[in-house]
Amino acid sequence: MAISQELLDILACPKCKGNIHLNSSGDGLVCETCRLCYPIKDDIPVMLIDEAVKL
Amino acid sequence: MKILITGAAGFIGSHLAERLIRDGYDVYGVDKFLDNYPRRWKERNLSTVIQNPKFRFVEADLVSLSLRDLLRDVRYVFHLAAQPGVRASWGDEFERYTHNNILATQRLLEACRETGVQKFVFASSSSVYGDTTDLPMREDGVIGPVSPYGMTKAAGEQLCYLYGKVFGIPVVTLRYFTVYGPRQRPDMGFHIFMRAALKEEALPLYDDGEQTRDFTFISDIIDGTIAAALYPSAGDIFNLGGGCRTTLNNVLAMIEEIAGKKLTFTRLPRQAGDVRHTAAELARARVQLGFRPRVGLLEGLTQEWQWLARELE
Repeated sequence: MAISQELLDILACPKCKGNIHLNSSGDGLVCETCRLCYPIKDDIPVMLIDEAVKL
Repeated sequence: MKILITGAAGFIGSHLAERLIRDGYDVYGVDKFLDNYPRRWKERNLSTVIQNPKFRFVEADLVSLSLRDLLRDVRYVFHLAAQPGVRASWGDEFERYTHNNILATQRLLEACRETGVQKFVFASSSSVYGDTTDLPMREDGVIGPVSPYGMTKAAGEQLCYLYGKVFGIPVVTLRYFTVYGPRQRPDMGFHIFMRAALKEEALPLYDDGEQTRDFTFISDIIDGTIAAALYPSAGDIFNLGGGCRTTLNNVLAMIEEIAGKKLTFTRLPRQAGDVRHTAAELARARVQLGFRPRVGLLEGLTQEWQWLARELE
């Protein structure tokens, strides 16, 4: 089950509270401002700053 | 109708999510997957709902999550997320308790100021009463927690009161009394006893076993929690207890009966933060919420035993 659009619409970057978007491979949520990618593991968005990957 | 459950992967949160989805609600679940017990247990808690299209789940820390967006269109908030455990709350660990129990609660309440939440249900604990001899414990009685955990739950209650009083958020506080049943946390008494019994090991028994608790089965807690969201008022505190105070020795005798074998024990001293007795006065919950605990101890223990036996296979 892919992550729902409804969920994507209400999630924001936990660091800057700004917008995020799904990356091209569909396995992460990207905050362009913070240059961080929040992973999506087993269809669950992991919105933890410590777990984010630096871009 | 949308609902937010914090701590949705936990023991009580996952049962609540299951029930609300079954009742037709759309449920958002948030959980931080605290490392108080193995993540795989919490993932298993979610296994019955995670694929359900009416369930949306996010792994996040409430302190940093952008809550206003998440709360958009949410009618009811069930704030169950917490750093649990009385004995572990001393020393350096206290910082985790202030972060996850106090700061997280404040952030969530703050976010609710700007939304149209119809009810904010806060999961508190009988541990706010402390080691009182004034039994049964009444909601309007004096509180005096004897553990840092209990103190952080009392602080959470006060925050709910403040945000209700000052900003009009319709809060309701529930003081849960020793909840048990399938999916009970591995650090909780019955789970520890039953796991030891199933593995033919000695059961660790703190104190003399004559301490008493008002044990509450999970489905009764879920009934009371949903009733608290739906009752036509706000601003109240309710005890949710099983309605029959029992000594630990009595419980152990029942577990022996269920296990069908003699149990052996390792006797250990009473731990700092443990209270000697708990007993819930249920009149207020009965009158205002229609709360009636239905599951007796032997039946509830049997259900937990059967669940754990399956899990350990």
